[in-house]
Amino acid sequence: MTNFQRIVRRREFTVLILILILGAIFSFTTERFLSVSNISNLLLQLSGVAITAIGMTMVIITGGIDVSAGSTLGMACVVSGYLLLGGYSPFLALVLAVLVGLGIGLVNGTIIAWGGIPPIIATLGMMNLIRALMFQTLGGTWISGIPPGSRTIGLGKWLGIPIPMWIAAFLIAIFSYFLSYRPLGRHVYAVGNNPEAARVSGVNLKSTVVFVYALTGALAGFAGLINAARTGIVQTNTGMGFELDVIAAVVLGGTSALGGRGTIIGSLLGAFLVGIIKNGMVLLNVPALSEGLVIGVLIIISVLADIIRARGEAR
Amino acid sequence: MRNIWDTIIGNRMFFLSLLFVILFVVLSLTVPGFLNLYNLTNMTQYGVELGLLALAEALVILSGGGGIDLSVGSMMSLVAIVIGVFIGRVGLSPSLAIVFGMLTGLAAGLFNGLLVSVGKILPLIVTLAGMYIYRSLALIIAVDPQFGPNPMPVSNFPKSFYFIGQHRIGGIPFQVLFIFVPVLLILHFLLSRTAWGRKLYGVGSNETAAMFSGIEVSKVRLTVYALSGLLSALAAWVITSRIASARPDIGTGYELQAITIAVLGGISIQGGEGTVGGVLLSVAIITMLNNGLQLAGIHQIWQLGALGLVLIGSVLLNQFLIRRRKI
Repeated sequence: MTNFQRIVRRREFTVLILILILGAIFSFTTERFLSVSNISNLLLQLSGVAITAIGMTMVIITGGIDVSAGSTLGMACVVSGYLLLGGYSPFLALVLAVLVGLGIGLVNGTIIAWGGIPPIIATLGMMNLIRALMFQTLGGTWISGIPPGSRTIGLGKWLGIPIPMWIAAFLIAIFSYFLSYRPLGRHVYAVGNNPEAARVSGVNLKSTVVFVYALTGALAGFAGLINAARTGIVQTNTGMGFELDVIAAVVLGGTSALGGRGTIIGSLLGAFLVGIIKNGMVLLNVPALSEGLVIGVLIIISVLADIIRARGEAR
Repeated sequence: MRNIWDTIIGNRMFFLSLLFVILFVVLSLTVPGFLNLYNLTNMTQYGVELGLLALAEALVILSGGGGIDLSVGSMMSLVAIVIGVFIGRVGLSPSLAIVFGMLTGLAAGLFNGLLVSVGKILPLIVTLAGMYIYRSLALIIAVDPQFGPNPMPVSNFPKSFYFIGQHRIGGIPFQVLFIFVPVLLILHFLLSRTAWGRKLYGVGSNETAAMFSGIEVSKVRLTVYALSGLLSALAAWVITSRIASARPDIGTGYELQAITIAVLGGISIQGGEGTVGGVLLSVAIITMLNNGLQLAGIHQIWQLGALGLVLIGSVLLNQFLIRRRKI
């Protein structure tokens, strides 16, 4: 196989082509799609998904899943929202938001790795527990009126591109390098491919699993701070359903739910695809109600395509 | 002392019965309004929808291979709104609308089942996508163009439609006697007395061995997901009749409760292990807990929070027991 064929056959390439086709369709059918404000808005909205997808990609590569990411983001929003409202420095809010996420992720990882609980059960339970805690903390009200001066990390721009997107790009670059070239990064793939072989070769299965959930929690916490700073409002249902967008982005980006395969760049492209679909549907006045339908069908088609392709290659 | 403790937590039915009794005593003593005949019989009607969904979840988890159905709540929403729209907006007779509702649930379940058994996609991914799709379909169907672009609930049902969900016989809600109990008995019979039941346990506990014994694994799994859709549809019918309204978001959050009940009832998340009796006790415990928390004036979101804890706790207990047995 030539290099060219190898690139064309990758999932990332298919997703990229899909993004370009959809982008072209939306720019011809709507006037606003290619406007600076819309593109910048699009980037702003998908940055949180892209950041959390870094961790989620690793979780899914190990054969797991984290459905508590949305609640984690919400809880981090609450904590950082109160701090920003109280006039504390955004840096302190950032540190605490990440710590809250890290704490939740550590608990997830520990009960999965040491308790032997299936990831879907552990994180489903955690999702509801955190949501209840969030409700308790907010006490049935919401946070608003965060001073504009504290919202730079969510609203600011540099060279015309929103700061959250710069942060996402920076984190994606670092963790892509980490996943491809650092020993712990390779362990993530090893755990997903063949846990027994990985264990025999000296990979510490449990700490690798704890690491991926802790990282996902911390990144969801980071995304929470950005979300609080961007929107300036925190409600009890903030972040509800966010985890589905992240999981959709990762699965669409070619990470196999069976584990062992996937890239962070693929997930970024997946996030772009989900973001463009949502954005385009709003511009075309398609009711937001059908969003779930489109994303659900897309997930199934892309996973089916993968399976059919794998069968073709096996022959 | 150690032996007694082992028997208590080692025998699931005994453990659940004990938990039930303790919870009953605690709630009777601490929550005013809990211990009276009206509340106790009235409470059972809330357990019917949950119980049907938990049985659906139990069947799917039993079939193994990472079996889980995250879409039961969404299927319930979809069927509820289908029944509602057919009766309230199209003007169909309730019995015909209910048949269409059941078929919708069956179709949704078959779709999940085909993707799992023939498409060989992980149940988690299939039913996650299914959850998105059915929820979205429910919202789209609920839009009434006469009243703008927003999804609207339907509540103009004929009186006869409320019979199933609101009628009582000897103080006991109709749906408990004539829907939940029969379903429970049929499933118990299917699982413990028929060849199909043995096949299901076989597929769930050891797929390869089942395949080599000539069991058609994919057929068994397809049936289980289809049944899950049908049971969700039944739950949708009962709840629309009880609350006299078909809402497109009625099933939100039910999947977590259904999974929790199944797992607490002793259905092993690895598949192939557990009984209908365990699920029944577990339904009773969770229904009682929900009722007690509600009477005590604790916000509904805490019921979900408490469930999250129970879910993690009960799986931890299962894992602990499995390890113990191995030693």
